[in-house]
Parts: sequence; structure tokens; C-alpha cells
Amino acid sequence: MSGPVDLALGILDHQLLDGEGRRCGNVDDLELGDVREGAPHVEAILVGAPAWRGRGLIGRLAAALARGRTVRVPWSEVEKLDSGVRLKNPAREYGLGGGDERARKLVAWIPGAGE
Amino acid sequence: MKKIFEIALGILAAIGGFVDIGDIVFNVAAGAMFQYQLLWAVVIGVGAIITYSEMCGRVAVVSQRAAFDAVRERLGFGIGLLALVAGQLVNLLTLAAEIGGIALALQLLAGLPFRVLLVLAVVALGVVIWVLPFEWIERVFGYVGLTLLVFAVGAIKLHPDWGGVASGFVPHADTSDLAVYLFFVVGLIGAATVPYEVYFYSSGAIEERWTPKDLGTNKANAIIGYSLGGLLSFALMITAAELFYPRAISPETLGSVALGANVPLGEIGLLLAIIGILFAVGGAAIDTAFSGAYNVAQFFGWEWGKYRTAVEAPRFTLAWMVMLVLGFLIIVTGVDPIQVTEYSVIFSVVALPATYIPILLVANDRAYMGAYGNGRVANVFGIFYLVVILVVAVAAIPLMIVSNMGQG
Amino acid sequence: MRLSDLLSLEVRTESGETLGRVHDVRGELTSRSLKVTGLIVGNVGLLERLGVGAPESGDRIRPRDAVPWSAVVRADRRGVVVKDGTTPN
Repeated sequence: MSGPVDLALGILDHQLLDGEGRRCGNVDDLELGDVREGAPHVEAILVGAPAWRGRGLIGRLAAALARGRTVRVPWSEVEKLDSGVRLKNPAREYGLGGGDERARKLVAWIPGAGE
Repeated sequence: MKKIFEIALGILAAIGGFVDIGDIVFNVAAGAMFQYQLLWAVVIGVGAIITYSEMCGRVAVVSQRAAFDAVRERLGFGIGLLALVAGQLVNLLTLAAEIGGIALALQLLAGLPFRVLLVLAVVALGVVIWVLPFEWIERVFGYVGLTLLVFAVGAIKLHPDWGGVASGFVPHADTSDLAVYLFFVVGLIGAATVPYEVYFYSSGAIEERWTPKDLGTNKANAIIGYSLGGLLSFALMITAAELFYPRAISPETLGSVALGANVPLGEIGLLLAIIGILFAVGGAAIDTAFSGAYNVAQFFGWEWGKYRTAVEAPRFTLAWMVMLVLGFLIIVTGVDPIQVTEYSVIFSVVALPATYIPILLVANDRAYMGAYGNGRVANVFGIFYLVVILVVAVAAIPLMIVSNMGQG
Repeated sequence: MRLSDLLSLEVRTESGETLGRVHDVRGELTSRSLKVTGLIVGNVGLLERLGVGAPESGDRIRPRDAVPWSAVVRADRRGVVVKDGTTPN
């Protein structure tokens, strides 16, 4: 898909989906290139609690209360944009889905939790 | 033919699943206090939930985005997070009320101590959610919830003044206590349109793997299913109008509600009523716990869904478990479940605009919806009910205060 | 700079005329990159801010023209400065 896109409307706060169609976070912010050198490119997607600091007063508050790292996904990893932002590879390769990795241990011991 | 059968089954589950503890409490109280005069308010509430359920079901099917995804995308991080927090608080109150309602219904069957029944209720809910697939949960609680039809049978058997019933569909207030009357208008509309219902319905569409060819099913469930479900609300109000209004009784307990079926239909009526309440409220409790888990998972972008295994969606799984535990902790403090129900409905009303506005926006967004965006009919109803919702949302807290929570 | 830094920045012309705030950033998406092409500036109404009125296409843009990036003189934490004569629409 190509053409014009409004970044806040069409990308920011949208769901990230990895190469296997699994949900792996939201687009919390976008990293742009240097604005002093002409029109910047979108360099990367930023995901994670620290990235909320730029999202207004409530964002700063939430970033202060939450734990986690910011994950940086280079824009070149984006496969396409539809209702969400689809990435080319599995979440783990980008360092996404870490929260689920940690949470997995809390439920995996219960019989019937799945593979 | 098979398709029609499937659609019929879906409608049946929607009917049985329509009523929750808020509907029971408000419809019965309204009938006891105002006889048939508030039937029109139920119609408005049912119309709103039909319109918005169909809309967000369609949004979920076509765009694969559930309702709360739309909240963050449309309202942004800050306001979206406020909506999440407010919505979760309301969800928890509602869930606490429903767990209390389950325990109250169990108490009518088995005279065990209330707190023991609360534990039993929460454990049973947890086990059911863990073990059963999504579709089974909805079908089981929906079908058995159909036993609430005993109230419809009972209401007819009580020989109500059908002329009076008919006039109840025209808004009029023949009362000196206008504040209480309006409080009940807000409560009845709120009970029918509680936010967890639309969040659950839209995520449910994705759980059930609906595709655009299921849009007919979506319409049937929402329109036919919820209209017929609304009949159950009428039945509750008419029954209360027949039994409690003439005697100026204010039904304070769930037992009084069940009497509504006992009086016209005897022991079997009572039993069916209790079972119906148990499964309708139990199903609602599960829907509410899920709704809380869906919302937080969708806001933060976590994997979610009962269609995923617990290991695939661990934070979502923990979320509904935490919801159940927190709901339990609220109600085990000993607060009166009926009172918690009333507060949960009124506070839900205040949260309604934040729930419904994003749905209307996304349903009109051609980039999401392609050819399936709202047509004129959906928008006329959508905007009409949005105005209604805005009015009741603004009026809710003042009316709650002025009418002293409906006590006058 | 991040997208969140750009959003809500005040946009002025070189001679000091205020044009409004940055409400969105327009980009051009290709299979290889996403490049910023302009800014959505001005007093965007509430409905528009909520995304109502997106055109009937698969693209996700607001129904108004962007101020082209070529008109931008300077953009930093203090605000965006554009050439004189630039209009928001």
C-alpha cells in the first residue's frame, strides 16, 4: 500500500501485529529523522512505557508509574499498513511482547494453559 | 438451512443473555414504584443497545478492530487512558454487583452463608471461563438464561391492565416525584446500555471469528435477539407493577424478584426464575470480567482473546482473573449487592459517551469500513441515541443526588 | 525529534503571524520508506480532530491540505516557523 498517510491519524496509537499476526503492542510514538536536514523520514516505531512521556500530561504520569523499556522497531521492518501496522518478522526478533513473556510463567503452570 | 439454524441459535443466546443484574433491579423497582409508566424508557434503552451493538459488531468484523482499539486510536493516549481507567472502575463495580447477585440467587437455592456463596460464585466463574471455549460459554449461559421467560408467562397470567401497559409506552409522568421518576429513566436506559455490553459484543465478534459473510448474523443477533431480550425487561416491570405497585411494596431483595414468578406460577415458577437469574447474571459476570480484560489488553496492544490459549495471551488471562478477584474483594466487604448494582448503573451512565462516541466515529470511517460503513439509517439512529446518551450522562449524577438514589 | 514533539507545536510565519498548531503530520508511504511531506496546521474542528470525514479511500488522511515541508524554515521544541505567505489550507 502506498500513498499519503497522516501519521497521528493512521499510525500513532494503532495496533502492532507481527509477522505471524500476533498482537505485540501499540505504536506509542514515532522517531523522525533530523528536521534540520529537510523533510525527515520516519525512522522507527517506538513502543513501551517510557515512550509515553511525549504523549501529554497523562502520558508523562503513566510513563512515571509504569515499568518497561522502549523498544525501537526500524520503519524498514514494516510490511504494510491496514487496520494495524504489520511487521515482517515475529515479535520476539524485535524485542516486543516482553510483557507477555514474563506473564507467561504465571499462567503456564495451570493445567490446560496450552502450548 | 443450516445458516438459518445457526442464526436462530445465536438469537436465542442473545435473548437469554440480555438481562443482567442492573436490568433486574431497575425494571422491578420501576414497576413497583411507577407501575407501567416507564416502559417507554426501556424501549429507548433497548433501541440504543441494538443500534450500537450492530454497529460495533460490524466494525469488529470488517476492520478486525474491537471497540476499545477505536477508543485509543480516536481519542489518543491521554483521553483514552482516562476512558480506560474510568471504564475499568465502572466495570469492577458492575462485576461486584453481579457476583453479589449470583450469591443472592444461590442463597435462594441453598441456605449457605453469603460469603461462602461469594467464594463459590467466583471460583465457579473462574473454572467455567478457564475450561470452556468462548462459544460454549455464551451458548450455555444464554440458553439457560432463557428460563427468565417464566417472567413473561407469569406477567401474562397476572392479567395486567393491558391498556395501562400500552400507555406506558408513551412517555408521561403521572407522579409528584419527578426527580425519582427521571432517576429511573436514567437508570433504565443505563441498565440496558452498560458499556461492558458493547465492548464485550465487539470483542466477541472477533472471538467468534466472524467474517463479512456473518454480517447478517450480526444484524439478527443485535436486532431480533436484543428486541426479544427487551421483552424480558418488560416482563419484569409488568410483573412488579402487578404484584408490588398495588401494595406499595418496594422490592429490596432478589427473593422479592423471584416471587414475581412464584405468585402466578407456583414452585416451578420460582425455581425457573432463580435458575434464570443465576445464569443470566452469571453470564453477565463473565462478560464483564472479559470486558475489563479486553479493554486493558486492547489499550496497551497486548495479545487477547479466549480464542488464544492462556499461554498465547498471558496478560489478558491474568487480567480477567484479576477482575474476578477485585470484584470479589469489593462485594465481600459486606456492601449490599442491590445498592452496588444501583451505583454501578448510574456511574456507567456517566461513562457512556466515552464508550459510544468512538464507535459511531469508527463506524463511519470509510478507511476502516470500506463499503460497510454506516448507511443513513444507522447514522440517524446512531446520532439520535448519542444525543439521548449525552443527556442522560449529564443528568445522571445530579438526579442521583436530588432524588436520593431513587428513594425520594 | 519524535512525532509527539511535533504535534501541538505552534506554527508561526517568519514575520510572526500565528497560523495555529500542528494537528497532524502528513507523509508519503512507499514500499521502502515513509517520508514526511507536510504538516496539518490550523484550527481543526472537534469532529475533524476525531477523524470524521476521512475520504472514501484506503488511505488514512484528513480531508484538508497539508502545509508542504518546503515551506518550513525551522522546527524545534519552541515551535515551527514557516515562510511568509503560507496559509494553513
